[in-house]
Amino acid sequence: MTMVVKGKVGESIPRVDALDKVLGKARFAADLKMEGLLYMKVLRSDRPHARIKDIRTEKAEQMPGVVRIFTHKDIPGKNRTGIINKDHPVLADEKVRFIGDAIALAVAHTEKQAEQAIGEIRVEYEDLPPIFDPQEALRSATLIHEKGNLLYERDITKGDVEQGFAESDIVIQRTYLTSMVEHTYLEPDAGVAWIDDEGRITVCASTQNPHYDHHEIVTSLALDPSQVRSIQATTGGGFGSKLDVTVQCFLALAVYYLRRPVRLVYTREEAYLATAKRHPLIMKYRTGVHRDGRLMAMDIDILGDTGAYGSYGIAVAGRAAVHATGPYRVPNVLVRSRMAYTNHPFCGAMRGFGVPQVAFAHESQMDILAEELGMDPFEIRLLNAFDRGSETATGQILKESVGMRECLRRVRKQRDEMQKVSAIPGKLVGMGIGAMWYGIGNTGVKNPSSACAELDHEGRFTLYTGAADIGQGSSTVLSQIAASEMGIGIEDIRLIRGDTALTPDAGATSASRQTYISGNAVREATGNLRKSVLAEASRFLEIPPQELTMEDGLVKSMKDGEILTTLEEVTARSYSEGKQLRAEGFFDPPTTNLNPETGQGIPYATYAFACHVADVQVDPNTGEVDVLRVVAAHDVGKAVNPSNVVGQIASGVAMGTGFALMEEFVPGQTRSMRQYLIPTVKDVPVVIPIIVEDPEPTGPFGAKGVGEPALIPTAPAILNALAQALGERIYHLPASLERVLKACRREGSS
Amino acid sequence: MPVQKIRVRFRMNGQEHEQEIPSNITLLELIRDELGLTGTKEGCEIGECGACTVLLDGKPVYACLILAPKVDGREVITIEGIGEEGKLHPLQEAFLTHGAVQCGFCTPGMLLSAKALLDKNSHPSREEIEEAISGNLCRCTGYLQIVNAIEAIRSGEKE
Repeated sequence: MTMVVKGKVGESIPRVDALDKVLGKARFAADLKMEGLLYMKVLRSDRPHARIKDIRTEKAEQMPGVVRIFTHKDIPGKNRTGIINKDHPVLADEKVRFIGDAIALAVAHTEKQAEQAIGEIRVEYEDLPPIFDPQEALRSATLIHEKGNLLYERDITKGDVEQGFAESDIVIQRTYLTSMVEHTYLEPDAGVAWIDDEGRITVCASTQNPHYDHHEIVTSLALDPSQVRSIQATTGGGFGSKLDVTVQCFLALAVYYLRRPVRLVYTREEAYLATAKRHPLIMKYRTGVHRDGRLMAMDIDILGDTGAYGSYGIAVAGRAAVHATGPYRVPNVLVRSRMAYTNHPFCGAMRGFGVPQVAFAHESQMDILAEELGMDPFEIRLLNAFDRGSETATGQILKESVGMRECLRRVRKQRDEMQKVSAIPGKLVGMGIGAMWYGIGNTGVKNPSSACAELDHEGRFTLYTGAADIGQGSSTVLSQIAASEMGIGIEDIRLIRGDTALTPDAGATSASRQTYISGNAVREATGNLRKSVLAEASRFLEIPPQELTMEDGLVKSMKDGEILTTLEEVTARSYSEGKQLRAEGFFDPPTTNLNPETGQGIPYATYAFACHVADVQVDPNTGEVDVLRVVAAHDVGKAVNPSNVVGQIASGVAMGTGFALMEEFVPGQTRSMRQYLIPTVKDVPVVIPIIVEDPEPTGPFGAKGVGEPALIPTAPAILNALAQALGERIYHLPASLERVLKACRREGSS
Repeated sequence: MPVQKIRVRFRMNGQEHEQEIPSNITLLELIRDELGLTGTKEGCEIGECGACTVLLDGKPVYACLILAPKVDGREVITIEGIGEEGKLHPLQEAFLTHGAVQCGFCTPGMLLSAKALLDKNSHPSREEIEEAISGNLCRCTGYLQIVNAIEAIRSGEKE
């Protein structure tokens, strides 16, 4: 009798890294201890826009315990970083562009000494006029960056939008606004750097992309790539913010000169001050519809405030444009999506890359249209929703795995079966729908992943991946994919992840891409290894490889399941003849660049689809909104680990509830967690998750992704529910107490 | 000005401690820096996030808000004191099997708040569970699987 191995694709096994976490043994960057550790603090700008005339460090250098002060003059390589466009200095040189810009570093024997030294650095500024509004930025003669204040524009043109409006029976036009949002991952940014055994500058940090960090360190220090090593520490959430370099280049610079271990841990206040935010967008939507409910035309203008630096601003503008129509067939589309620099904190990637913002707009438009037409909000969506064969605004034909209608149907059915929410006296209730689509991976650019699988001479399986698990569960999911492909148990898999000296580049943990893209790379690596093992077994068993299979760690006959040999036996034989068993895998999703003028092309290989329905209760006297429950259906292609998918859905609903009702980062005012509230357990609704599996043929075992999709439909559903409850619509996120009360008063006076 | 030292005696995770500590440090600094127990996390330093939750005489407290000398004569329990590999606390087991752990940064504090609840109330309602962990922020899970995990212990569910 053979043991059935555990951990195959489709099983809700516990996460591979959870045991250390429940024991308190997992080492986050701030938990790392080293002999002779030095401590770093960062001097940051208190001006939004100023020329730097002088930085005086003499006094700080004399302070007790200080080892060294660093400024931009110490940077041996290029003093510009940025994942897409290189506009972000490691340390400010000519100018500061926002309150929080890094200017100098102090390294001392204690954290307190470093802090005190920072206080003694004198910066002489010449103030420049600050700009805090993206519309003003585009008009202003004051340039934040030399190339101008427009970071990027992405246009999409399909059909003839004016013709479409002429053929429409109803045309509505509205403007939607969203606010800056702070990621508020629980672990403030942190890292430790040292010289490793092989003499490399080694930075171990909280990050979503160790290979990108490596690249920036190498560039800023003008070193050979082999002289630098970047390791992902256990990372306490990221949600997009830890895609930018935070502490990495600072620490590497110090170790470059000092050759001693140095640590930098941001306080929560510093993490708020100095790291990326979600882009606030101004979205003008004009939508035309035929009286039968068919969408005829959309004219959309999006302007975002990217703050002081580009970060992921280009990606957000591009993705917002591509997704601006929502998951609907629209024959005539015109989108203009722009990002402008301002002197606000820089905005970058945050879970959804602009799609949560546009979903708020397109889903509000759908409900307004439904009301004007006297249609059921489900019906208007079902009528227009993407299906197999639908064409998107960029001219892409969706061929497979289009579970949009299935999500709508499943949510509707679930909700019909549940008890209706009845209003208690003095309270208002409402129900609202939110639907979304989300392209997996980066937009119309190459974004490959590679992986490596190995059986050592003892038959032990190791999977090497650069994919950063920041809490979303990629280590578990990739291990399950390898286990299924290899026919071994999850406990037989050793995972090495996120270390540039050991693991191949998997690209960023972003864009909900690791399950689909790295999953494919892992599947290919493991599949290639499996083939090698079967070829070896075939050779010494003298049975053709096509008659062999691997299951439960055993090589069996395809015909009758007879056990022929074990993995250990095959690897022992193979290694005894000097043959290594190691295989590589690679995957880059098939996409095309978008046409620069028309935006036409294939930006993503596959899309996730989802629909949420929210029930809310409002107290019209206080403006307090209680989200009672959210039914959430997600087409994930295939749930590699259903429990993880449920975790992502519940996670997204919570963050979406914060985005809808609570979260607004006000530069200059929001300093700590005291001024910035994220949902507690009492703020989150009851979540009823529904997993829809419309398999994606190019995905590993049919899988797509769910990390960001989980968040996107929640706020639109809540805002539509609020509109129903109040009889008034709110066009500005978050729908805070004040905005809800204002809407109540408008309704009362009309 | 040199920082005053003070001698304190306390029980930590079942062990007696007697040592000199700076009088101005917090309980969190005592745990992480003086005793080197890094399972207790620092997320905000102002008592908002709950990542540093430990048990002081059985009650959950934010270690970042308590001055270390206050532990004199008292008992402290941290994540390192509730279970070990091969002998997990039922809550640790439930967190594993119910998918209640994502990034894991809130997990130690969350487990201690849950333990304090179950120690005094072995059959809490879902509302009581929510009340008990309402001072512990989690940005990853949306709390669903955390509450489910704690509830599973209440109902004596075996995995």
